[in-house]
Amino acid sequence: MSDERRSVNVPIWRRDFPYETAGEEEVTRREFARYLVLGAGAMAVGTVGLAAWTQLRSINTGSPERIVALDEVAVGDTYLFRYPTDADPAVLLRVGPSAVVAFSQKCTHLGCVVYWQAEEDRWHCPCHEGNFTKLSGAVLSGPPTRPLGRIEVEVRDDGAVWALGRPE
Amino acid sequence: MRVAERGRRTSSAVLVYVLVLVSLQVFLVTVAAEAFLADEEHIAWATAGVSVVLAAAAALFLRALRP
Repeated sequence: MSDERRSVNVPIWRRDFPYETAGEEEVTRREFARYLVLGAGAMAVGTVGLAAWTQLRSINTGSPERIVALDEVAVGDTYLFRYPTDADPAVLLRVGPSAVVAFSQKCTHLGCVVYWQAEEDRWHCPCHEGNFTKLSGAVLSGPPTRPLGRIEVEVRDDGAVWALGRPE
Repeated sequence: MRVAERGRRTSSAVLVYVLVLVSLQVFLVTVAAEAFLADEEHIAWATAGVSVVLAAAAALFLRALRP
């Protein structure tokens, strides 16, 4: 707004006596409510963004990818890898001479990293004591309600373990 | 009750309603964050829907305030 126009809007008495009181700096009730509504709108946008991000992450099912040579993993040992992207930690367990299983390392409760507990024969999440079965990743105990994200793998003729794509 | 007094009380009530709605929004943000961490798409979208409705309700309450 130009100075000329501003001076037109200002009452004559204020031009003659250009003094302000401390009360004029205070936030009115309506202004305060407007800030609150703006905050509510920002939070709504944030939750929509989080929902969209959640959706975009889970549709990434991945493509076939070589993980590791079977000989490099002893029976009963695990091998850490990333699948389908570098941001998705996963773990492979060799359960027999030619049998392997692989899971996302992200706990289905709140996303902590799960690891293999050989002495207990189960997958374990240390954050909230969640436990999952060895072969299917089903919930054994703890707060998780969904099984671990299973990654379909197979041993191919070249002796390597391949990820086939994470099922929905 | 005088008109001015009634108007002041109304605007106070509206302010309280808006405060309650914003408090619920804060709760919904934490629910959305948990849904994000647990890959729960349905909960995340449901939370987003409720959050948008609450924001719209807060905006409507704001219109009820005296200018």
